[in-house]
Amino acid sequence: MIGAVAPFFQQYPLLWTFVKAVVLASFTLVIPLAVIWVERKVAGFIQSRLGPLHVGPQGTLQTVADALKLLLKEDIVPAGADKRFFYIAPYIAFISTVLSFMVLPFAPGWVALEMNVAVLFVIGVSLFNVVSILMAGWSSNNKYSLLGGLRAVAQLLSYEIPMVLSVLAVVFYTGSLSLTGIIEYQVKHGWNIWHPPIMIAALIYFICALAEINRTPFDLPEAESELVSGFNTEYSGMRFAFFFASEFANNFFITAFAAALFFGGWDGPVLPPMVWTFLKVFVMIFVFMWVRWTPPRLRIDQILRFAWQLLVPVSLLNLLFAIALGVK
Amino acid sequence: MPVSPEKPSTLSTVEILSQGMVINVGPQHPSTHGVLRLILTLDGEQILQCEPVIGYLHRGLEKMMERRPYRHNIPFTDRLDYLAALSNNLGICQCIERLGGVEVPERAKYIRVLLMELQRIASHLVFLGTFGTDLGATTMFLYAFREREMVLDLLEECTGARLTYNWIRVGGVPDDLPEGFGEKVLAFVKLFRERIEEYDQLLTRNRIFRSRTQGIGVLPKEMALAYGVSGPVLRASGVAYDIRKVDPYEVYDRVEFEVPVFDRGDVWARYLVRMEELRQSLRIIEQVLRDMPDGPVQTKLPKIFKPPAGIAYSRVESPRGELSFMMVSDGSPNPVRVHIRAPSFVNLSVLPRLLEGAKVADLVAILGSIDVVLGEIDR
Amino acid sequence: MKRIATDEKYNPLLYFIDGLTTMFFGMLVTWRNLWRPKITVRYPYQRRPVPPRYRGLFYLKWNEEKQRLNCVGCTLCAQACPTDVISMVKLGKGTNAGVSEFTMDLGRCMFCNLCVEACPFDAIYMGPIYELASERRDAALFRITDLAQGGEEAVRKNIETIQRLLAEEEKANPAESAHSAGGHAS
Repeated sequence: MIGAVAPFFQQYPLLWTFVKAVVLASFTLVIPLAVIWVERKVAGFIQSRLGPLHVGPQGTLQTVADALKLLLKEDIVPAGADKRFFYIAPYIAFISTVLSFMVLPFAPGWVALEMNVAVLFVIGVSLFNVVSILMAGWSSNNKYSLLGGLRAVAQLLSYEIPMVLSVLAVVFYTGSLSLTGIIEYQVKHGWNIWHPPIMIAALIYFICALAEINRTPFDLPEAESELVSGFNTEYSGMRFAFFFASEFANNFFITAFAAALFFGGWDGPVLPPMVWTFLKVFVMIFVFMWVRWTPPRLRIDQILRFAWQLLVPVSLLNLLFAIALGVK
Repeated sequence: MPVSPEKPSTLSTVEILSQGMVINVGPQHPSTHGVLRLILTLDGEQILQCEPVIGYLHRGLEKMMERRPYRHNIPFTDRLDYLAALSNNLGICQCIERLGGVEVPERAKYIRVLLMELQRIASHLVFLGTFGTDLGATTMFLYAFREREMVLDLLEECTGARLTYNWIRVGGVPDDLPEGFGEKVLAFVKLFRERIEEYDQLLTRNRIFRSRTQGIGVLPKEMALAYGVSGPVLRASGVAYDIRKVDPYEVYDRVEFEVPVFDRGDVWARYLVRMEELRQSLRIIEQVLRDMPDGPVQTKLPKIFKPPAGIAYSRVESPRGELSFMMVSDGSPNPVRVHIRAPSFVNLSVLPRLLEGAKVADLVAILGSIDVVLGEIDR
Repeated sequence: MKRIATDEKYNPLLYFIDGLTTMFFGMLVTWRNLWRPKITVRYPYQRRPVPPRYRGLFYLKWNEEKQRLNCVGCTLCAQACPTDVISMVKLGKGTNAGVSEFTMDLGRCMFCNLCVEACPFDAIYMGPIYELASERRDAALFRITDLAQGGEEAVRKNIETIQRLLAEEEKANPAESAHSAGGHAS
């Protein structure tokens, strides 16, 4: 399909970019609806409940209804808020997610922007998320939000480092900064996850990913029971929806990124490549949810201690290990 | 809050920095378990000072009781500690029985103990669930409440209500146990033993949970005694003080059980005490069902109950601690003075001391581990 | 200031391994529960069984044999009530007395069962109906026609029966019951 339309659009590069941007933005808006529904169902089943049931078969349209409700709600801005930052924070979060999706290969040829430094790009734009959370927490002029924002920044920055180091291990091992390149390497040489240094890198990546998308046991920034939802306490309506959507789209992205780095992306027998990508992503999303609904959350000092005392040194050593083994 | 340029602050930067941030937790906060308000002074994530504000649920229960005949007051006690209504019922009934010199039939005593221990399980399960959610383990909440539903179903079958049971009367209990109740309770006991193992596997042994609770909110033995705390909070600080042992009422002197005591005095110890009490309650239930004699369950009393003039004091071990009632009679149908010693109220008084120097995240753990019920504190 | 007591023997790697293993066992528990039967009762469509002793909406027992309500209007239940829920209008006097009006303000009721226990005539009971919430305040006021088993029909028959009995009594014994025909309110 993409082969049929691409030659036509490629005559008009600007239009082609626009189409891809629109498709990706809507994908980023639609994918949370599915992920949230799965999340609610999995959470419900783990907790001996049934989850959403009423809107649509098995409650499939529940998140759509919720999203519509959020879009129709009044947009409340607290009187003491720093309005400019309060307004743009959710959009920055959302845009950073959409940008990460740009370089994500779903199947051979199915990538919006073929970039030879895709990994670097992803790491770069995902940091915008931290900025948006800090902006939201600070500009809300709410003490709970402020605490949530501070926690979020401390946590996300601390976990960004081991995460980048573990991704770098893959980069050095495969000798490519392009996601397509990494996947193609795996198609030839087998999935990265089966190689010892990358195994450790994958474990570190998994832990850091939990922290990056604020899942239990690292869900401090929005700790429901302490900070009453943390940095987004004051957000309502559409702006809240954007935060929420970007969080779950990020969830999808971070697993898709892991699938590309460690599990061979679209690589797999029998089924078409696209199906393999989504299969891997949803299995990983399920594992994330499974983890989320099991343990309590850590405390901020414990989280930072864990990152700096264990993850950073181990991922550094692992990086050396990967470089030593990966030099071709 | 940024300082506005129109009104320059007279404080120097150092003074502003040393003031700390005042943050208001509650009365509508998910982790204050009711309408408790805490005024915290924070230095970053560190708590410098905590001031609990209570009274949002004040109903003047003690005064209301003085305006009503003795037996009319029993349903009001359901509203004190609404998670352990039966313990409160028993507390006031024992007090009235002592005042009027009423004898309770043997079978009624056993039924009371059975209900008390079922109630303790239900109440500790609420603690377990809410404590889990406070720390972020949301699933624990639903598991604990799932098992609590089973206890509530049992109590509902026996008493007809699910929360405000009102099923202890002066001189016994209103009615015998329903048909086949014992078997159902034993089936629950069997199932619940397995479920406690599951809780241990899910929560107690979890490294994160242990890191979150161990060494947090340490209450030394001397401070615990000085503040007069009671119940699991006191036993976690190394004092083996349980009314069921030191001043046995009903048939607690005839059943075998252990009082769990831990020396650590931290949140973890308070949690462990309650988990162990769940197991001990199951033991008591089994023994009570085995030993329960047949016979009447209620002593006949006159329609208008007038105890002789005097004063009576009774105490029971409610799931939260030492719950006592004092009543003064002048021979009329109404009490002249009623006083309730609510364990949560006394236990809460130690909270500011426990929170000094703790982190904000520890606030919910420490408050949850004290396990207060606001209905009892505000009365 | 008191510092948080941290575990002295903190070892990041051991803690991490411990964390992973305990996490794994915890996840086994959640996995087991994923496949357990769900306990949700889909309330408006499904309902829990109500036990026989359930303390729901009150009813006044209909005595099929005597064709009347058991209630004789003795007001013992009203006296036993801590919150003054019950008021009634007595019909007649003596052994054949009954009620013509029996009103309960359930807005005040605690469903504490004291009135049921106080009744020596097995007249008032608590039934299995629990959906009593309403948007209107006066919906909490339950009159005799709402409370009696058999509804309005039963109340009509009850009054008929009692008036017939009272009339028979008066015929047999005219002097004594002359001044009590109108009944009295409590």
